[in-house]
Amino acid sequence: MGADPDEELVRRISAGDQAAVQAMVARKLPRILALATRMLGDAAEAEDVAQETFVRIWRHASSWRQRGARFDTWIHRVALNLCYDRLRRRREWTADELPKVPDEAPLPDAVPADEGRRVQQALQRIAPRQREAIVLVYYQEMSNIEAAGAMQVSVDALESLLARGRRALQAMLVGDDGDD
Amino acid sequence: MAEERRTSDVRMDARRFAALADAYGSALHRWPQAEQAAAALFSETEEGRAVLRRAGRLDTILDRHHVEAPSRTLHGEIVARAATQLRQGRHRHLWWLGFGLAGIGLAGAVAGLALVTVVTPDASSDRYVMDANATSFGDAGPDADTEDL
Repeated sequence: MGADPDEELVRRISAGDQAAVQAMVARKLPRILALATRMLGDAAEAEDVAQETFVRIWRHASSWRQRGARFDTWIHRVALNLCYDRLRRRREWTADELPKVPDEAPLPDAVPADEGRRVQQALQRIAPRQREAIVLVYYQEMSNIEAAGAMQVSVDALESLLARGRRALQAMLVGDDGDD
Repeated sequence: MAEERRTSDVRMDARRFAALADAYGSALHRWPQAEQAAAALFSETEEGRAVLRRAGRLDTILDRHHVEAPSRTLHGEIVARAATQLRQGRHRHLWWLGFGLAGIGLAGAVAGLALVTVVTPDASSDRYVMDANATSFGDAGPDADTEDL
């Protein structure tokens, strides 16, 4: 693994450098907010997760050391754990209402302006671990090694989650299961 | 845990190419780095192009999902909380450091005491009796210097 591109910034933050704080927020906030929005499907909750993630960054900046994982991978793990806390709370509240089998029926066609909302609905209907894999590799542009590291699974397991997730999305959004 | 195939191990065939497209979609830059070169070659084939075309249909739809950029308010709130949290984090770090050093000191004292107990000969009463008349030079009792007279 090469040098961590965030390490110097983290060191400056732990020394109390305000410019480094600003730079870290500018660099990571859009990524963390996008991750949480796609994982939770709720903009307000995603903002809360982003705030909590940064609280943990500030708290641990002085003690953070690169041990295997990059800083970016570590903050993704932190944000994902916070997302899962919220998903678990939701499940506890709505457990009786959830269907036993995920609904992969095709979603109605949308005008182009609504296509984003349709994708968001589809993402919320697949299993959270599949959604996590797709969000990390597809939207966050993580390599398979980084994504597998953030998810704490093997690359083979990641590929399996990705393939199953994409097949479910294909069925909902394109209207077939990917086989011609 | 997360280990990738080495470039030298890569054998690209239609089955593997389709499996990768299933998982990573139609953009080869998202595919495992070690397999990108072999995949690029296979993508030139008719079969490869068909697989990528199929995966690309879903990608086009997924690309329409955008997340709004963070608001200035959110950015400002996060920066504002940083100063307090960083100070607390440093204090916590120093506290643990102090606690660790104190632990090391205590462990050293215990180890030193144990060493002294093991190494120092046992001064038991049956081997060494301190006589009231004894000095470092032997018995300095009243008869000591008159014995030869």
